[in-house]
Amino acid sequence: MEVDAFRDRFQGCRLIGLRLGTVVAILASAGAISAAGGPNFSRDVRPILSQHCFKCHGPDDAAREAKLRLDVRESAIARTDSGKPPIVPGKPDSSELIRRIFSHDADEMMPPPAANKPLSDSERRILRDWVSAGAEYKSHWAFVPPQQVPPPKVSSGSAFSRNPIDDFVQAQLESSGLDLKPSPPADRYTLARRVCLDLVGLPPTPDEADAFVNDPAPDAYERLVDRLLASPHYGERWARRWLDLARYADTNGYEKDRTRSIWPYRDWVIAAINADMPFDQFTIKQLAGDMLPNASLEDRIATGFHRNTMLNEEGGIDPLEYRYYATIDRVGTTGTVWLGLTVRCAQCHTHKFDPIPHRDYYRMMAFLNNADEKQIDIPVPALVSRRQQIERQIAAAEIELPNRFSPGGREGRAKFDAEFDHWEQSESSRALRWTVLHPTRAKATLPHLAVLPDDSILASGDMSKSDRYEVQVDKLPTKITALRLDVLPDESLPEHGPGRVFYEGPFGDFELSEWTAECDGAPIHFKGATQSYAANAGGASAAIDGNPLTSWSINKGQGKSHSATFILDRPLHNAKSLSVQMLFEYYYACGLGKFRISATDGVVPTDRRVMPAEVDQILAQPREQRTPEQRATLMRYFASITPALDEPRKELSAERAQEPTLPTTLVFAERPADNSRQTFVHKRGEFLQPKETVQAGIPSLFGSLPAEFPCNRLGFARWLVDARNPLVGRVTVNRQWQAFFGRGLVRTGEDFGYQGSLPTHPQLLDWLAVEFVRRGWSLMAAHRLIVTSATYRQASRVTPDSVANDPENKLLSRAPRVRLEAELVRDSALAAAGLLSERIGGPSVFPPQPASVSEGSYGGMTWNVSQGPDRFRRGLYTFSKRTSPFAMFATFDGPSGEECIARREVSNTPLQALTLLNDAQFVEIARGLAADVLTKSDGRSEQIARTLFRRCLVRPPDPSEVAALVTFYAQARARFETDPTGAQKIVSGAERVKSAGAGKVDPVPLAAWTLVARGLLNLDEAITRE
Amino acid sequence: MNCQDLLYRNCDPRQVTRRWFFEQCGVGLGRIALAGLFTGALSRSGSAAVINASGSLIPKKSPYGGRAKAVIHLFMAGAPSHLDLFDHKPKLAEFEGQPIPPSIIGGQRYAFIRSDAAVLGPRFRFVKRGDSGTEIAEILPHFGKIVDDVCLIRSMHTDQFNHAPAQIFLNTGAAQPGRPSLGSWVVYGLGAQTSDLPAFVVMSTGSGISGGAANWSSGMLPTVYTGVRFRNQGDPILDVSRPDGVSRQSQRETLDLVETLDRRRLNIVGDPEIATRIASYEMADRLEASAPELMNLRSESRSTLEMYGADPDKPSFARACLLARRMVERGVRFINIYHEGWDAHSDLNGNHRQNCAATDQGSAALVRDLKQRGLLDETLVIWGGEFGRTPMVESHPVLGRSLGRDHHPQAFTMWMAGGGVKPGITFGKTDDLGFHVVENGVHVHDLQATILHVLGFDHERLTFRHAGRDFRLTDVSGKVVRPILT
Repeated sequence: MEVDAFRDRFQGCRLIGLRLGTVVAILASAGAISAAGGPNFSRDVRPILSQHCFKCHGPDDAAREAKLRLDVRESAIARTDSGKPPIVPGKPDSSELIRRIFSHDADEMMPPPAANKPLSDSERRILRDWVSAGAEYKSHWAFVPPQQVPPPKVSSGSAFSRNPIDDFVQAQLESSGLDLKPSPPADRYTLARRVCLDLVGLPPTPDEADAFVNDPAPDAYERLVDRLLASPHYGERWARRWLDLARYADTNGYEKDRTRSIWPYRDWVIAAINADMPFDQFTIKQLAGDMLPNASLEDRIATGFHRNTMLNEEGGIDPLEYRYYATIDRVGTTGTVWLGLTVRCAQCHTHKFDPIPHRDYYRMMAFLNNADEKQIDIPVPALVSRRQQIERQIAAAEIELPNRFSPGGREGRAKFDAEFDHWEQSESSRALRWTVLHPTRAKATLPHLAVLPDDSILASGDMSKSDRYEVQVDKLPTKITALRLDVLPDESLPEHGPGRVFYEGPFGDFELSEWTAECDGAPIHFKGATQSYAANAGGASAAIDGNPLTSWSINKGQGKSHSATFILDRPLHNAKSLSVQMLFEYYYACGLGKFRISATDGVVPTDRRVMPAEVDQILAQPREQRTPEQRATLMRYFASITPALDEPRKELSAERAQEPTLPTTLVFAERPADNSRQTFVHKRGEFLQPKETVQAGIPSLFGSLPAEFPCNRLGFARWLVDARNPLVGRVTVNRQWQAFFGRGLVRTGEDFGYQGSLPTHPQLLDWLAVEFVRRGWSLMAAHRLIVTSATYRQASRVTPDSVANDPENKLLSRAPRVRLEAELVRDSALAAAGLLSERIGGPSVFPPQPASVSEGSYGGMTWNVSQGPDRFRRGLYTFSKRTSPFAMFATFDGPSGEECIARREVSNTPLQALTLLNDAQFVEIARGLAADVLTKSDGRSEQIARTLFRRCLVRPPDPSEVAALVTFYAQARARFETDPTGAQKIVSGAERVKSAGAGKVDPVPLAAWTLVARGLLNLDEAITRE
Repeated sequence: MNCQDLLYRNCDPRQVTRRWFFEQCGVGLGRIALAGLFTGALSRSGSAAVINASGSLIPKKSPYGGRAKAVIHLFMAGAPSHLDLFDHKPKLAEFEGQPIPPSIIGGQRYAFIRSDAAVLGPRFRFVKRGDSGTEIAEILPHFGKIVDDVCLIRSMHTDQFNHAPAQIFLNTGAAQPGRPSLGSWVVYGLGAQTSDLPAFVVMSTGSGISGGAANWSSGMLPTVYTGVRFRNQGDPILDVSRPDGVSRQSQRETLDLVETLDRRRLNIVGDPEIATRIASYEMADRLEASAPELMNLRSESRSTLEMYGADPDKPSFARACLLARRMVERGVRFINIYHEGWDAHSDLNGNHRQNCAATDQGSAALVRDLKQRGLLDETLVIWGGEFGRTPMVESHPVLGRSLGRDHHPQAFTMWMAGGGVKPGITFGKTDDLGFHVVENGVHVHDLQATILHVLGFDHERLTFRHAGRDFRLTDVSGKVVRPILT
């Protein structure tokens, strides 16, 4: 009867559209129902209620039917409107719930037929038995803090057990009542290859494997493990797993899917893992590194975690809408990674199963919704000093410019001085004196405008496709003939400004559509405008033409100051107040980032060149009062504009173009207190339906944020890795377990809620979770603990007994055989061939892939194949384009970076076979492998075959395997003898082979051995960690 | 997830006996599993197929026995204008140059235009076509000839007004990437009918596709349900042909070597996943032959080629349509042909002329050809874009745009033919300006529900459990459009 109960229940769970029928295994893992005390609520009852009842009688009060709530005992046993309590503890016959679930009347039965969630007979019986036994509710196991129980004593214990993990696993195996024994230890070659692939993602060389196999020391294995944990490749291997969760990619996603630079974040992850940064710090830095006291550059780079969200740059999108979706992604990802909860289900309504109200979702969002999204420079010292060096050279050359005045030398210099003198005189006569206006107030439709001490204005915060700025000035010069707008660079702006364009258009540009002003309430008319620089044809005049479709912009002038003057129709006299409005409107958001407004009372001809304010200011002083420095400034300025120096100046620009640009990365920066962003509850989760505002808060099921944590992103991050969060330890160690065993102790690693799977080894999970925190949140320690267990070290051979009794290997009576992840399939082949570049970190690379992969990419895709060692870097450095992922990785279930992946799919398809067999890069790898082995061989076929075999599979081959390879080689060789062109094609290929020996070897044997190597790389064993 | 889990999940463990284990799995499974499968979810299907007929790519009967067995979706990406091709609005000509009242526009956000932009009249002449007398733009002469075979839906509407999200929405029922596409759901539900070709094929003949690979992603479904791209250049399926210098015999010998060594390993470690791998390699080998056979159009008659207007050796939309018919004949379940390029923000006239010239003949020939071969009843052909275009003109001197139309989610036209959809009818109606739907609105989720329906599925019950929730194509809405079904 109980058996049926389990089967029926689990068959209800649809997986891959099929029914799950592994009765025995489930029984084995879940244990039998205890006869006394009725069914176990957490294990037996809540899953039924959750699956069949909670959708209408659960936490979501908006969807609740008949005001009846069954997820909370108080309401379940309370009298309802109809007067009958759904549950009368101990009295199933008086319980309305029991009557309804046993009813055959379509109008009365529960769940109603339309719900399509019928209960099985055994499920009904479980509920009845539970009510009979008193209908006790228990807290959901995962919401109760984990407790460490001492490892159980097991009868077969000492022989097998190496650490507490084994005691827990053994105890479970013994209590299962199944005829299952743990597997013997894996042979040492298999173990060496397994632990190398698991810890550093690369197979050992045959020599390394031999050294381990022949090491008689009792701690040989432990020392191998320590060596691997100390390897810098450990960080690479485990970073890739973290990057799956972080949805890392090198492009923005959506239509345009343009390149972004965020690889410094990837480097940070690798370094943090290599340094075994405690997971609590690892978390805090990634979620709120910018808010740490004295945040370092690294702390800021770490916040790239939540900058890996996508950015839509399609023409005409609403940037706020896509910022909202990015925030949705951040909430969901945070829920998956640190809580193991499907928090994202509460975006549109209260969670249907777990106790997460709709409002809680947005309270959690509020923590993550108050950051500005910035791009920062990474001041790589070598690049910085090179830039400074070039700047110094340019500065020196600028001083020399006058001496290069035609025809040069003394004569040229004399001519320059004469021209300069003339210019200075004539400009002085019409010099303008500018008065910087002190803004009384500056506000904008959406952006936040801050008036800085120097009376410039800095914009920050959100922006839309149409934003209006308004600057109010209440103290004015007595006469005003023209207004001047200086647009200024600032480090906080994209490409250092002066504009704020951050998507779709040229970063750091702006589009000033309209410039209007009012004086004491009356509109001011402008008769003309000039500018120091413009990217648009009409220049600043486009801002006073009354047409919002035209605008002044400065593309290609990013990072510098520019100015425009707007000349008044009629001078203003004794004005009291001035209000200037600027409209920034385009099909992308295009506001100005930093600017300053000045006024002059001089005569401004509409054809006058706009000079820097500083130059104007000097010219406005009487000549005799100018200091030598001021004169030098004027001279430098003149040298920078006189057409006679055009040619020498070109040389300077060429030199400036040599300046290396600093790498950049994407970060979070918490908003200033005077401009915090409000978070709303969004009806149905829709962007366009913001309702009431919410204050930040942790999900109410965990109580409230402890008082010692600030109520902001930093406090939230600290709470996530606080011992009072019952989930983080379990979720994290479960993910580590999953990495080694192919599946977690909780199979649904992304869902520890009511709908998630129960842990196969609950005590082990909790023991590991507590241990993890006790050992200082060290992932490395957790990995060491797992790989040194006997459980991990078992053989992976699948026996008929284990298949029959425990087909899913839930009881861990053997080690799993797992296909390598996409990147590792290629990495291990490259390593076997000796081609792999061991360089760690840096920008992404472009390994070869068929040209047609870019077909259908919007706007095409340039995939300039990397040359040199970058052709053979580890897979995690491969450029990751979201809309057109690297083909080979996609074929082997690699992620696209479009969402947080807690568990990769593992498929086994003909497309994978085609890739390994026919893809040019794998032929190239096979050829590299064959060439390398061949040049180092003594020419004996058996020896070559053996070496090739060991390079791919590590273990020594069986004689029959060598024989198969040698026979195949002889066949292939014979074919190539009669088909030398074929051999030549294989040997020469289009691509470079690293091995210098390739040229020296006879093409026929090399081609034949290449086919042998190719065959080996195609073996199931070669792409499987056994 | 462990591969083995996937395998055994589908098995009745009582049948996973010692005898089965050695006899079926250890020996000769590969070839047995080859019957009737492709893309190799053999970890879940092939091996399990021996003992359990519910494998994931095994052909399955749909629960309600739908009419359609295959789908060809001609995705006119970029969004064709309903107002200039299918939905004649004389009022637009009458009001040309005047703004639309704000009461009609409401709060709609636009990509490029301001909502006070003026009305633009139809750019093409409309003519009555077919026995049904359906009004169609004259630049669709071939479509005019099949209009009695199709159901024209003039009342489509969507939630999205940007290309990538709208395309992903139409394909997956959600605007953000991450959900399974229609093709993936169909193959998940129906399995494959062939072991020689992928069950879900994607072709592209226009410019780059806004929605990218998310359009044919399997989302949270197993990755074997992802659409397989057929390419225009190089191998039709990536790496389907042997490397240069490797002869057919060498390839065969290599496959034999791999199989020998894999089989040996299987006998030692006993992991059925190896048997699956062996079967995958066998299928890869067969694909090497079946893909070129499919692509070789020499067996097609001259009149067929002429009907499509396809050059057998040159990639084109027409050729893709012809290939789609061949795929259907060979058992491919779901075919997507993307023709991106309809995004007429400027010069709608020129843009649509060009796109109609590229797609009209092929689309119409496909329907005629399927019909004459008796395949139309079982094949659903879908034609349309991701949204419509504004009744208002788009012009922008700075961007160099004039006489175009912006994106319009409130109303657009699609057509369907075959597969149990009523021929020769027009369904739904928009207002006099073609702005809003006024009758029989068909939301994208309704369209998806209807497509699943003709394939024999209840869209509310074709679900997949992921992260604690049963996901489905139509999210939480969708109603089957019954009046258009036979």
